Amino acid sequence: MQDQERPWTAFYGPSVRKTIAAPQYRTIGDFISATADVYGDLPAFTACLPNGMNGTLTYRQADEMSDAMAVYLREVAGLNAGDRVAIQLPNGLSYPIAAMGIFKAGCVLVNINPLYTAEEMVKQFKDAEPKAIFIVDMFADKLAEAVKEFAIPTVIVTRVAEYLPAMPKAIVGLVQKYWDKTIHPITIPHIRLPEAVDAGRMSKKTLDKGLEAYRSMIDPDDVACLQYTGGTTGVSKGAMLTHTNILMNMEQTMELIPNLDKGKEVALTALPLYHIFAFTVNFLGFYSIGAHNILIPNPRPLSNLKRSFENYKITWMSGVNTLFNGLNGEVWFQDTPPKHLKFASAGGMALQSVVAERWEAVTGKSVLEGYGLTESSPVLTFNPFGKTRLNSIGVPLPSTDLKCVDEDGKDVPQGKPGELIAKGPQIMKGYWNKPEETAKTIQNGWLLTGDIGVMDEDGYFRVVDRKKDMILVSGFNVYPNEIEDVIAAHPGVEEVAVIGVPDGASGEAVKAFIVKRDETLNKDAVRAYCKEHLTAYKVPKTVEFREELPKSNVGKILRKDLRAEELSKAEG
Amino acid sequence: MVGPLEQAILALMIFVIMLGMGASLTPRDFTLALKRPYGLMIGVVSQYGFMPLIGFILASTLPVSDPIKIGILIMACMPGGTTSNIFTYFSKGNLALSVLMTVTSTVFGVILIPIVLVVYAGALDLDIPRENIIATLVLLLVPVAIGMVLRKFNSNVGAVTEFMGSMLAIFFILFLIVSWIPRNWEFLLTTTWATYFGSVVLGLFGFVLGYGFSILLKLHPRNARTVALETGIQNGPLAIAIIAFTFAGTEAQAIMAVPVLYSLFIVITSTMVTLWFRRVNTANEQPLPNGLL
Repeated sequence: MQDQERPWTAFYGPSVRKTIAAPQYRTIGDFISATADVYGDLPAFTACLPNGMNGTLTYRQADEMSDAMAVYLREVAGLNAGDRVAIQLPNGLSYPIAAMGIFKAGCVLVNINPLYTAEEMVKQFKDAEPKAIFIVDMFADKLAEAVKEFAIPTVIVTRVAEYLPAMPKAIVGLVQKYWDKTIHPITIPHIRLPEAVDAGRMSKKTLDKGLEAYRSMIDPDDVACLQYTGGTTGVSKGAMLTHTNILMNMEQTMELIPNLDKGKEVALTALPLYHIFAFTVNFLGFYSIGAHNILIPNPRPLSNLKRSFENYKITWMSGVNTLFNGLNGEVWFQDTPPKHLKFASAGGMALQSVVAERWEAVTGKSVLEGYGLTESSPVLTFNPFGKTRLNSIGVPLPSTDLKCVDEDGKDVPQGKPGELIAKGPQIMKGYWNKPEETAKTIQNGWLLTGDIGVMDEDGYFRVVDRKKDMILVSGFNVYPNEIEDVIAAHPGVEEVAVIGVPDGASGEAVKAFIVKRDETLNKDAVRAYCKEHLTAYKVPKTVEFREELPKSNVGKILRKDLRAEELSKAEG
Repeated sequence: MVGPLEQAILALMIFVIMLGMGASLTPRDFTLALKRPYGLMIGVVSQYGFMPLIGFILASTLPVSDPIKIGILIMACMPGGTTSNIFTYFSKGNLALSVLMTVTSTVFGVILIPIVLVVYAGALDLDIPRENIIATLVLLLVPVAIGMVLRKFNSNVGAVTEFMGSMLAIFFILFLIVSWIPRNWEFLLTTTWATYFGSVVLGLFGFVLGYGFSILLKLHPRNARTVALETGIQNGPLAIAIIAFTFAGTEAQAIMAVPVLYSLFIVITSTMVTLWFRRVNTANEQPLPNGLL
């Protein structure tokens, strides 16, 4: 595409490069070491527990420890370049040591959701075939079950309070063991993470070559991460993200964020790092600018974040709609919003306009919404700072092309909805061991997102909805997002999900599931409110009140679960 | 009944508990309290309005000696105890509100406790060394301030101090059960039913009035549970410390019977109330957004 075909570049800041030719570094390992040299003794990561107990690693410490971990993986555990290593950890100081160690060793990182059941773990193990795994002691019992089905030679166990000062570490350990009773005896052979680091340090002394040798064996286009996703077709599969994919996406995203003080920002990471959005933007992006990254092991309940906001001058945070919505409702957050916050960034799911507006009213700062998929490492678009448009996912990143096409793959006229397809250096290499799925998703170099979008005349995009979530009411296309946005703005509504249900008369009918904020809210009031704001065919035919809505581990509301319930009800 | 060594240990315990309370605070907690004076007022009204009144009624109607009357009054005028935060947690109440109420009632106590005490004691024709009590209360603010500074200086030291402080509140009760009861068995057997009654009922009435008051004000059930526990649960160690520092000899020993008995029984009654709260109220409560992340 030529410049005139990328009208959005007019909205980039003056310092923003319109295209980025190549990443600054060959591999993620190179990036990590070089960045650590720049920021040395500044704090890189702080794990902050709900009670305020915390531990910190500086850039230099994280670099040295991950060096040792890389040596451990290669020399002691005997792994080779390209071997997969799984990480199943909540946010904490072990995460960067493990992840950076894997990259420096030239191995491939496989993020696994720590809350997975043994069964789900086995499925992912069998597909990715990891040779080693990092796991937190709380979930080691599930691993003991899973390795019966798929053996993993090297198991490295860590704890939530790893590398916290002795006293807090001891207290957290005792509380977990005797109070919460979340720690069970570990029955499988394993090594503790600090012991692995020590073993790596010992072995490093006898190493005749530098650590660069490990990563010189791999190419920038080799796979760095296998990032599992339900993707656009529902089957769980590993997106192969290369070193270039991830480094480029990090650079592209950071390029659009101005006013950053290198070495001075304090970032809050409440999203789990195993999620690709937190991984690329929070973990690597924040690291690249020398930020102090506050890692939250468990943001649930939201009061767990209170201490972090009190003890650190947070300047930047990222989250999903559910997180912002929740914080908006917390009294302590309303009364003392973070003073030093510059802005917040949202991704992972659609940001509802009412949530964005409330957030701005509470904090005085905007939420910049971005958009992307696991398959695109993940960021494709972002709202330029100061030029935010409500309800818009913003403009494509530098070196990224995005357009809307019809069923036949032909461009639709500007302003008309069509499936979003994307091209850029951040698009994955393909799905691991699934060439057919890859062929369905990447066609002629374009990634088919499965989302319906619209581009305005300036090149700002809006996601109308998921292609498969679209509801067909008597031949009219109804997009659940639009209706959810209207209902969410009702003051009596806490959360809402809208789906299509089979309906004799109209083919499909709109149904809304609502979690009340105000107990007195009733169905008629909801429908009346919708009638004020929506054309008749979009107004939900049925409204159901729920105590809670099904959600994924990152807080995405799962419409598919609701649909499945409705279908089984209809059949039963 | 409480020897010099025990007094020294008690003083140390109080110091650490107050230090822990201070370490849980930042200046913004006070901003928060001032921005929401409604919640604060409810706390102050129930803590220094209802409780002393209950104490006064008990003291004036029960057939007890003057020292016991003083004991009941002092116990009733105490600020909220840190154990209330633990019970609030278990009864799925509003922990932030509980901490805030405990702290504000402690801070306001410096002025309000002497006033309320003097008024009611005067009505009952009892002699209370007002200046001593003020001095003790002011002294107590010192560790609170130190705790706040500690936290500002090092968040880990603050968090550990806070943890130790709340643990010590539990340890205090264990201390009573393990050390005090066996040695004062004789005393417990000779204590009149009225003293027991006063010590137990004070907390229970506090729960009932705090809950009723909150329901009347249409507070959210979570907050109502919190206010109830906060009102009923008083700072027992503080009462013992105040008595030890302001009264002397046998009089002090006699007065102290009330806070000791209160502290023992409040654990039992609070546990029962907490269990009841969990059962009755979890059914119709609004769920927290626990699907988040």
